[in-house]
Order: sequence, then C-alpha cells, then structure tokens
Amino acid sequence: MQNSQQQAYDRGITIFSPDGRLYQVEYAREAVKRGTAAVGIRTPEGVVLAADGRLRSELQVAASVEKIHKADDHLGVATAGHAADARKLVDVARRRAQVEKLRYGEAIDTETLTKAITDNIQEFTQTGGARPFGCALLIAGVDEDGEPRLFETDPSGTPYEWKAVAVGGNQREAQDTLEEGYDDLGTVDDGLRLAFEALAATVDGDLTPEGMSAATIDAETATYEALEREEIGDHLEEHDLLDEGDADEE
Amino acid sequence: MNPNERPEPGLDGSLDPFGSGAGRRGEFSVDGSSVEAGGLETAAGSDGAVEYSTGTTTVGLVAADGVVLATDRRASLGGRFVSNKDVVKVEQVHPTAAITIAGSVGAAQAYAKQLRVEADLYENRRDRRMSMEALSSLASGLLRGLPVSPLLGGVDPAADGAGEPHLYQLDGAGGRIEESAFAATGSGMTVATGALEREYDTDTDIETAVPTAVDAVLAASERDTASGNGVVVARVTGDGVETERRDGTGALMNGANGGAR
Repeated sequence: MQNSQQQAYDRGITIFSPDGRLYQVEYAREAVKRGTAAVGIRTPEGVVLAADGRLRSELQVAASVEKIHKADDHLGVATAGHAADARKLVDVARRRAQVEKLRYGEAIDTETLTKAITDNIQEFTQTGGARPFGCALLIAGVDEDGEPRLFETDPSGTPYEWKAVAVGGNQREAQDTLEEGYDDLGTVDDGLRLAFEALAATVDGDLTPEGMSAATIDAETATYEALEREEIGDHLEEHDLLDEGDADEE
Repeated sequence: MNPNERPEPGLDGSLDPFGSGAGRRGEFSVDGSSVEAGGLETAAGSDGAVEYSTGTTTVGLVAADGVVLATDRRASLGGRFVSNKDVVKVEQVHPTAAITIAGSVGAAQAYAKQLRVEADLYENRRDRRMSMEALSSLASGLLRGLPVSPLLGGVDPAADGAGEPHLYQLDGAGGRIEESAFAATGSGMTVATGALEREYDTDTDIETAVPTAVDAVLAASERDTASGNGVVVARVTGDGVETERRDGTGALMNGANGGAR
C-alpha cells in the first residue's frame, strides 16, 4: 500500500517528492523490469545484442516480437520494457542517424546517437501532461574509428556506457553472469555465448529460439547483422543452453 | 511545451541554435539595403535561378601541408565606387578552417558567424573537432539560398596536427565541389584562374603557394575594376589559421616581394 504522502507526489511527473524523488520515473523503471531481458556485450572484435521475447501463444508469429532493431548500417538497438514506447525511441534513433548524414555527410557515432535519444527521453520527465518512456534501450555500434561501443538509456534519460550490460526482467541474474564471464572474451562468438548464458540465467528453464533475437556489429566491417532463428538455435545447442523439450521435438 | 508538439529534427540539414525564426539574411541590415564586397547585381538565369555577380577576387590553393586562401581588399558599391580599401574577406570558421567571402557582405558575415557557432557547438558536444567532410557538408547545406559564393579551405583534425588539407568551392544552390589543386571566385576569377593555371605547382608546400596566391589576386586586381587595394593571405594548417595583410604596391608576378606590411 502507498502511504498518503507518496500518493500526493506521483500524480504529476513534473513534481518532486519532498525527499527528491520522481515517482513516475521510478515506476517507469519497474515497467522495464516487467519486460523480458536484453543484453549487450562489447568484445574487441565487435558488439553483440541478444534478447529474449515472450510469445503469448504458439499461434503468434515469432518474428512479430521485435526486441532488436537496426538503427543504421553500423548501429543496433535492443529494448526492454514497453514495446510501443521502445518503438517510438527506435524511430527517434533512426531519424537522428539519417539527419547526421544530411547535415555532416558522416555516419553518427554511438555516443552522439545515445545522447540524442536520452535528451528526448529526459524531456518527457519534465513536461506537463507527459509520462516517461517505460523502456530501457541498449545502443550498440561501431564508430568511424572502428571502436565498438555499447550504451544504455534508462527512463530518466541518463546515458550509461558499458562493457557488458543486461536490462529487463531478472536483470540482476543476467548481470551477475556477465560479470563472471566477461574477462575471457576474444571474439564476437564468445560474446554471443556469454549473451545467451546471461539470458538463460533470467529464465527458469533453458532457452528456446522462438521469441529470441540476436544481432552483431562487427568491428572490422561496422555492419549490423541480425542472426537467423536457426543460427540462434545452433548457438544454444552448441553451448548446451537449449531447452530439452525443444530439442526432443526436432 | 508538449513534447508531442515538438518539431521534427530538421531534415534540410539546418541547425539553428538560436531557435527557429531567426532569418539568416537581413539580420544586420538596418534599412534593408546591403553593402557588398564589390557590388551585387542579381539577374535571373535562364533556368530561373538567381545569379550573383560578385565584385571581388578570392583564390584557394591546396598545398602539401595546408591550404592558402587569398583575397583582394576592396569593397565597392556596384563595382563602381570603392566603399572600403581595407576589407578582410577571409574568415576563420573552425580551429583549422576558413572561408573566403564573395557576394553580399551582410549575408557572408552572418554565414561565417553561423558556421563558427556550429563548429564550436559540435566540438563542445562531442569533444572532438569537425572533420572537413562534416564542415563542408554543413557549410553547403547552410549556404542554400544565400547570395554568397565562398571557398572553404581547411585541414582535417589530427593528433599530430598534420591532417589532410581540403579545398571546396561552394555555391548558393547548396553545391559543394572539392578542388584538389586550386579554385577562384568573384568577378576577378577568370584573370586569377589564368594566373593560377600557369603558376600552380602540384608539389607545392604552403610557403611556395603563398606567392602564387598573391600573384593571382594581384593579376586580377590589375584588370578587374571591382578588385584591388592589396591582398589578404591566410595560411590554413593543422596548427590554425594565420592571416596576413599585404599592400598592393608589390610588383605583379613577384608576390614573394609583394611587401608584407
């Protein structure tokens, strides 16, 4: 139960509580936790994004659960939380990436794009009548100098840079897995293995490729590539993360 | 402001740090008339595009270690009356880049100011300087519709200060053409181009390019009535932009002894 003092300060987003909190922003963070997990990992050879999705029924088309999006040739965005809110921010990212090319004739770098998105998110924490975005984004890219970069945005509009990070449901379990396994990453494939291990830590059983998605941005080519569902299945099988029931059916 | 009413990010390549509505032209004009570098005459071309005659001579030369920009120092009204004999028509717009001005002075000055602001904002936001690709792309985008035909010369940012030199010819329709050797604009451009065609050496470094640039502007000053009163030379290198005034008494075709003042 909320106490009456708190209730008075969570009506309007633009109102601080006496102890300096913005309850609506904190509730938006809760919305992120209700989503399925997404992880991002930076390796010397590129960046990896992977996400688990939830299918409501076996009749749902798996490809319609979109958790990872291409923002530009060299940029990918993974999302957790409110899917509709996330889509709106992905469109901001895509537009901003194209505006950069029109304005400067150059590809936007990951940090600049991230800050453009977080500036947009922040406006919705300070504007009357608005509500904050109930999603977190992982923004992965390879910059002009070939450097792989990985950023997180949260509902307050703060950007964070990471070597490896998890957002969404059971984030703590995934982050623990990343912290344990990050040290010996050499290749993009190593990154994918750790990403799937981290996602496996967020679900009770093993993973099934349905609803999952993954993408890589190679440092050499600076090109976003989404993994096919079969490739994800192969990775899961190779690393012994495939759900047994699923394996039996094949 | 309701975020839902936020304007879309400008897809026309413009970025107005002062908020939309501030016109690029006429901001500094008191009575609506404009003072011109040499005089501005407009005429509708056959395709309906407005052409501007610009009474001045500006040249740009690519050297191994930078770019040399040079202009005459005359401002005139309609090319008939010399309204100023000591105008500096080279403006620094970036730590390692500058433009030359030909056309409407007011528009050109406002344009240079806007470029400087954009370059500073870019550097402050991103903690790195604009590349010449980014600067020239922005410069051509912002130039659309302005009665100015500048040259843009600059050196790419590099840790050791030895970045690649670039020279661009820009036009009021938003055009951008990179020049690998030299370029000239203004009413004296034909005479200056002839001089450059003869004197320019593809293996030049910045110190040997300076007299060539001065000679080209002096040659144009001899024959173009809207150009004259000496030369301003700018050396644009990875270390910055150095501008120098020279008077017009030096012997033509002997720019090295043109007499630095």
